[in-house]
Amino acid sequence: MGLLNNIAGYSHGNRGVGIRDHQLILPSVICSTHVARRIAKELSAVTFAHQHGCGIIGEDVAGIDDFFAELADHLNISSVLIVSLGCETIQGQELGARLVARNASTRYQIIQESGGVEGTITSGVASARKLSQDFPKTSASIDSLRIGFDNSRNFDEANNWIEALERDGAEIIKSENHRSSTESFAELMTKKVHLVISFPDDLQPASGFPLFPVLNVQGNSSLHNAISKDFDLHENSSTRAVIEMVGSIANGALTIAEATNSGEIRAPRIVRSV
Amino acid sequence: MVAELTGYLRANGEWGLRNHVFIMPLHSVLCSAGRKIAEEAEGAVSISHDWSGEVDSDLERIILTLSGFASNPNNFAVIFLTLASENENRIIKLAQDLGLNNFTEISLADAGSIQGLIDLGIQVAAPYLIAATQEKRSPAPWSAIKLGLECGGSDALSGITANPALGVASDRLVRLGSTSVLGETTEILGAEHLLAARAIDPNVGKKIVEMVARYEASINYEGIDIRGAQPSRGNIEGGLSTLEEKSLGAAKKAGNEKFIGVLEFGEVPTNAGLYFMDTPGHDIEQLAGFGAGHINIVVFTTGRGTPTGSAIMPTIKVSTNTPMFEAIPDLIDLNAGSIADGTETLEEVGTRIFDEILRVACGELTKAERGGHHEFSLSRMYQTVVRG
Repeated sequence: MGLLNNIAGYSHGNRGVGIRDHQLILPSVICSTHVARRIAKELSAVTFAHQHGCGIIGEDVAGIDDFFAELADHLNISSVLIVSLGCETIQGQELGARLVARNASTRYQIIQESGGVEGTITSGVASARKLSQDFPKTSASIDSLRIGFDNSRNFDEANNWIEALERDGAEIIKSENHRSSTESFAELMTKKVHLVISFPDDLQPASGFPLFPVLNVQGNSSLHNAISKDFDLHENSSTRAVIEMVGSIANGALTIAEATNSGEIRAPRIVRSV
Repeated sequence: MVAELTGYLRANGEWGLRNHVFIMPLHSVLCSAGRKIAEEAEGAVSISHDWSGEVDSDLERIILTLSGFASNPNNFAVIFLTLASENENRIIKLAQDLGLNNFTEISLADAGSIQGLIDLGIQVAAPYLIAATQEKRSPAPWSAIKLGLECGGSDALSGITANPALGVASDRLVRLGSTSVLGETTEILGAEHLLAARAIDPNVGKKIVEMVARYEASINYEGIDIRGAQPSRGNIEGGLSTLEEKSLGAAKKAGNEKFIGVLEFGEVPTNAGLYFMDTPGHDIEQLAGFGAGHINIVVFTTGRGTPTGSAIMPTIKVSTNTPMFEAIPDLIDLNAGSIADGTETLEEVGTRIFDEILRVACGELTKAERGGHHEFSLSRMYQTVVRG
């Protein structure tokens, strides 16, 4: 039995067993991101700013709809409140119907039908609180931790780390995207990882993702040396230290990126807005 | 109506209608720090975006947008949060070329960490905020106003009430010597010949038609017939039937004055008068283009209602119908639905919009400003080939 074979997590129904118990306030369009943030702040829930949901055409309509569905179905999510404007391309009630078919712990709130901003916030907070009551925190253990690897920077010892983590019971999923950590995180989210170990490019900072912990590994570039406080691990860390840190984070300790709420979500797009 | 237009004269001769201390993160990872600084340093504003320094076919458009937004005359001072990269340096240099002369760059490396960046940002913002508050507004000429014309969540009344009423206000400002800019290329498709006929000369008219054709080609390149993809679902639910109907209504925001020029996305107009700018219909990308083009006040007509605002440009929301105005009162500044109700004329509502523009230009806060709505979106082409 490895250190990563028996993590104390939370049962989230069809989503799986997560290492965080996040309530997600999901804005279905950029116009509702500010309202979503105000609701999330009231509840200590997670949310994010994004630039999508309206003015999209072609394959992006299904692509963004699927991306939102993947976010809502992530195993670290306990329940979801969709905040919709009402007239956008990605319609809140349709997204809600799709998501609730998969996970009952889903509700939506439409700004244009809720009396405006303050009305939406009041109703949204009440709805989200009801979700938390109806779907309370439920402990469960995780047999195998799914760890994403963001290899935006080449790291010679990566295979040693992977072998050590696998020996201790983790399953490793490598990102196929090497362009930026932001894009890697979006890809790894769809692969339902519990957390990510990130090797940001030498010229890129440590970063995070709202739904899962990201452990950032410092390299030896001048930027990384200058901002060493933002990194959880160093390339020189021993594999034992890595495993212990992963175990600690998986069991509830916060990463530095979680503590500072750093990192934005970038959804995959292929067609310009209209 | 206010007695006199006032504003803040900038060193390059442009006028600001606000005196913002603007926290501008130049990397997506720094946006949370920007938000935190703006929360802690009361009075400062910030934006969030998703650019992480990627170098791709959209780089020049992103550099143009961020530099133009930073140098908007509504900003008293800008605090750039950076990684000190080459492209971030280009953004700051271009912002200086566009008129920005009061700024501080804080690099993450110098701050030592995200928390260090937040702490330093709050310290740097404090004296800027004091100075911005102490600066008095000065009497301004009509040319100080650079008005952006926007519509979103349009319905069947947009082209009958709010848009033509805004056109009345726009015409009046243009005749007084202000600048007014119509955007949303998507929403003049099918009406471009009517706008071209109002161009000051054949060359400007030709450019309007070419700009629309270029836009449509860029969408068709993706194998999509834009005339089949618009109007949006929300528009259809609001009673619009075709893109042409939507466009004919949307174009009425620009009144009846002549177009003196066309602007690329984010381009700064150099003369007073009526312009057309090539922007997407996506409300927030359009706002970003207007901000980059140094528009300093926006009127946004809406049939369905939206909370949208900008971090740096006061955005006046005008409803096209009374039921929506009454249903979501904290989002909408003015109601033009009274025209359809038969209780006011187009001219009367146009005058109310004109008066509101002046009040807001002189410092009165819009509902979006009071609510802290600071939406921002980078406009990307995603490798679309734009054929001229």
